[in-house]
Amino acid sequence: MDWYPLYNSLRIALISSVIVFFTGIFAAYYIARLNRVVKGILDVILTLPMVLPPTVVGYFLLLLLGAKRPVGMWFQEQFGIKLVMTWYSGIFAAAVVAFPLMYRTARGAFESFDETLAYSGQTLGLSNTYIFWRIRMPACRQGILAGAVLSFARALGEYGATSMLAGYTPGRTATISTTVYQLWRTDNEALAFQWVVVNVMISAVVLLTVNMLEEKNRKERR
Amino acid sequence: MMKRRRAAAVMMAAMMTAGALAGCQSGQKAADTGAGSGAQSQAVQESTEAVQESAGAAQSQTVQESTGAEQSQAVQENGEAVQKESVELIVFAAASMTETLTEIAQMYKEIRPEVEIIYTFDSSGTLKTQIQEGADCDIFISAAQKQMNQLDISADPSVNTEGLDFVLEGSRFNLVENKVVLAVPDNNPAGITSYEDLGTDKLNLICLGNDDVPVGAYSIEILTTLGILEQLENDSKITYGSNVKEVTTQVKEASVDCGIIYATDAFSAGLTVVDEAEEDQCGQVIYPAAVLNISKHQQEARDFLDYLTTDDCGAVFESVGFSMAR
Repeated sequence: MDWYPLYNSLRIALISSVIVFFTGIFAAYYIARLNRVVKGILDVILTLPMVLPPTVVGYFLLLLLGAKRPVGMWFQEQFGIKLVMTWYSGIFAAAVVAFPLMYRTARGAFESFDETLAYSGQTLGLSNTYIFWRIRMPACRQGILAGAVLSFARALGEYGATSMLAGYTPGRTATISTTVYQLWRTDNEALAFQWVVVNVMISAVVLLTVNMLEEKNRKERR
Repeated sequence: MMKRRRAAAVMMAAMMTAGALAGCQSGQKAADTGAGSGAQSQAVQESTEAVQESAGAAQSQTVQESTGAEQSQAVQENGEAVQKESVELIVFAAASMTETLTEIAQMYKEIRPEVEIIYTFDSSGTLKTQIQEGADCDIFISAAQKQMNQLDISADPSVNTEGLDFVLEGSRFNLVENKVVLAVPDNNPAGITSYEDLGTDKLNLICLGNDDVPVGAYSIEILTTLGILEQLENDSKITYGSNVKEVTTQVKEASVDCGIIYATDAFSAGLTVVDEAEEDQCGQVIYPAAVLNISKHQQEARDFLDYLTTDDCGAVFESVGFSMAR
């Protein structure tokens, strides 16, 4: 069994969840501070990828990143690299789709944070950066970790946008999800089943991690 | 508060009534079209056929033949039936026929307004699986003999391995012929000019159909004949699309250096064709068509397939690069 799809899936999921981890947290932190109207609009835009079908996300991404589209052409001209049909195209797809999960959970965690703690820090003359990293983040740790795990799981399971952006090139852009589809299409049920088992196991582990984090969270609250 | 609740109740009632009415209607329609559901509906069916076969004159004749009170009733029902009794023909066709068959459906509407053609376009392999899984379908047009054979009980059991019996006996024929070509994006960025170039460093990424897609099977034959398939696979230079339209789009968007598709798809998408496969590279590309024996409208389905062989349709097919297989 060629393990390339597993390796590729894991690397796409890892990189995109790292990207999403930081962008999601900062978006959650800064957007919470904006006025109601702007916040409402940005909130809808940033959460949309979660409720849109991945094919629609893929469509939008192709309109941007395709070899004949603005961003794609710019990268082609400047750096001579293609943004679609490569293994890292999967990162764009996975990151966009997983972003709302991180953003929403981080925002939820920040909203339940007791602001008086931040104010007390300010009265003690601490910088905002210090307060953010040493007070706010530790206090919201569980929620943020859960968000990170969830977005990793979502990135790992991405199929629709990935297949549109990265296609299916065995040994290059193949991920677990596109491989399963391909194997099923070409009537290779036995191998498809093996990949399904691999996928189910990874997802189960991820969910188990989320549950454990939540339990820990509940215990600490008590 | 009360008012709002009442309004909600009225809305609910209205919706339920509408739902019930719709249910009745479709129920009646089903009864009308269903075979042998009482003498009355049969009479309606018969008279409709008469009307369809020859307009105007035939109708009055039918009326004359029936007597008294029955007569006016028959006329009424007759009139209603002509409008209502539309037939839906579900046609599963190879994705490469999307443009031509859509145009032909428009033409057919003028000749047989009561027949509504509903298409599903996808790879022949997918369509074959869907038929096998019990999809409602009257006509199947495949882009290769293989998928049709897999559904034809009279075909070689080594092809029809599952012993499937879906093709209506005597309705199968070869409709059109296509060519398998090598297409490149605008300006041909990779500078590929022939099938032989696929074995060189010029090629970075090529898009092919899956091997369950006819165009994919043809592509594999061509590359095998050239002896470069294994090399391309080992270098991970092949990306797979799930039907010919997906391959076409990948080429058109310049996501790949080139793709192997049909002449007709390259024409419809306005792509540059740099090479054409000869018959000794991948055989003839024949599209067989047949009525399925699960069809509830076999006569209408046969009529439509007959229409596809007329010169009018031939002109449409040939305008995009098909040739008629006669």
